[in-house]
Amino acid sequence: MTERGAVYDLGYAPYDGSRLGRRGARATLFADGIRRVLGIRRKARRKVFPWMLIVIAVVPSIVFVGINFFVPGGITEGASTNATHANFFVLNGAVALVFTALAAPELLIPDRRDGVLSILSSRPLTYVDYLSSRFASLVAVVGAFLIFPQFVLYLGLAATNTDGLFRGLVEGADALPKVLLVTVIYIIAYVPLGFVVASLANRKAIAATVYIAIVIGLSAVAEAVVANNVFAGGRWVALIAPVNTADAAAEWVFGQSSPESLLAAADINPGVGLVALIVFGAIGVAFSLYRYRSLM
Amino acid sequence: METAFTTDALGHAYGRIAALHSLSVEVPRGRTGLVGANGAGKSTLIKILLGIIEQTTGRATVLDLDTGRETIPIRSVVGYMPEGECLPLDQTAADFMVYAAGTAGLPRDAARQRASDVLTLVGLDEERFRYLGDYSTGMKQRAKLAQAIVHDPSLVFLDEPTAGLDPSGREEMLDLIARLGSFGIDVVVSSHVLRDIERTCDWVVMLDEGTLLHAGPIGGASHERRIRVQVNGDATPLVEGLRSAGALVTVDDRRITVAHDDRDTYDLIRDAAAATGTSIRNLDDGAASLEEMFLRRGAGR
Repeated sequence: MTERGAVYDLGYAPYDGSRLGRRGARATLFADGIRRVLGIRRKARRKVFPWMLIVIAVVPSIVFVGINFFVPGGITEGASTNATHANFFVLNGAVALVFTALAAPELLIPDRRDGVLSILSSRPLTYVDYLSSRFASLVAVVGAFLIFPQFVLYLGLAATNTDGLFRGLVEGADALPKVLLVTVIYIIAYVPLGFVVASLANRKAIAATVYIAIVIGLSAVAEAVVANNVFAGGRWVALIAPVNTADAAAEWVFGQSSPESLLAAADINPGVGLVALIVFGAIGVAFSLYRYRSLM
Repeated sequence: METAFTTDALGHAYGRIAALHSLSVEVPRGRTGLVGANGAGKSTLIKILLGIIEQTTGRATVLDLDTGRETIPIRSVVGYMPEGECLPLDQTAADFMVYAAGTAGLPRDAARQRASDVLTLVGLDEERFRYLGDYSTGMKQRAKLAQAIVHDPSLVFLDEPTAGLDPSGREEMLDLIARLGSFGIDVVVSSHVLRDIERTCDWVVMLDEGTLLHAGPIGGASHERRIRVQVNGDATPLVEGLRSAGALVTVDDRRITVAHDDRDTYDLIRDAAAATGTSIRNLDDGAASLEEMFLRRGAGR
């Protein structure tokens, strides 16, 4: 008699383990949001743009540190650590803007376009849970995008410190809380607006284009109004330009002054600009919530 | 009676257009069909029961939980297969099932295990690493069913589960639905294909333009006690003969329907035919299909 394989129908195994309810659902959405933005476990072409932008954001820090290594004190000579961090924020701020323009639609539009929202609507989630989880994903990814090059810079500057690595780490440490604060400022400037546009558009490419157009358009309008003193009190229009305000606030936090900035030209304290960013951000979040209230 | 869901004077309107009118029904646990033409209010009812939309009037419960106040607890123990497209085309089936289980509150490890189990159950285990965008319509319907049961719900709502399927795909889907009851999962199937409901369900709720036509066990609804008789030639002598013998008879053209009460109606028909010299062409038990029931009750409104 020969031995033969056998196929067993194992049937259906009921699940009697733990159920995490809303907490588990929110955590799942958050983690999925991060994977989605970075193209993880998606087709290769979905990884191209996010990772290309990450490389573009990090490479200048690495090059800067590398040159500093071969020419000790050459580049940073005369410039404070704070100034270096502030300059890199302004530089990476533009890249982060493009990154946000691509990331925000990725988080919201496919769920609506593919109908996945109808499944999520039947899960133990509210629309606030859904949006807050997606929002947290975007904040985490954009935050990491902004912080990572700064961290590379911090370690690189410490490593090339003429008094040794440890001394460099200690000397540069006072910039770290400022790095965190400025990252939050850029997030407030970029993310809520990205959510508003993504909550309205039906195509990712259109959402990204409209987002960048709005940001550039607001800067152009604000600069024109302030420069030409179009009407009485027109200088306050400077506050509608999120990128200019975030850049000025970043330099302000790092103790740098930029007389050619839009806020300086409008004679507005960067602290006031920061308050304006928070107000506009809150309005953006409220609008997105209002929009999704009828969708879920 | 343990109920899958109940409604009490439930109403809903989209603006000025009323989708449900004062619907009151109690549906026991088991496999229930929700039937009606397009626009009858089936999907609206399911969305109210899931707490996706709010009723305009009345109240509803699902598994004895109030849909207005206990939406999250309800959603933790029910599954939902929407009618339309609802799958992310850029994810593999395996990844999406893990995600679907996670959004239902299952821990990560359990979600992975359940995802694997349900994909095997619906026959997609060999295709689990393909992107959902590359799936055929039949495979997508199975994936939709899989996500609805991946968290082992107590009750699952299936909205038009056979829509767009070819005959063999439809048979497979109906087999799967029929098996769900044996897994301890109660099922509410919404469909306008009445044969699908007859094949898979024990109970039926008939809706028409947002109102309740009928609710009850499918056996009781579809198998009324009557005998249909077709004759060659004039039916009048036989009809008169049956009526004079006390039978309840209705006539439509040359088709005679005789109420089948406790007497031996077949003998009665035989004797009346012999006495009147009527030639019988066809005789059957006249079991009304669900479709006939639906049409008759709809016409009787």
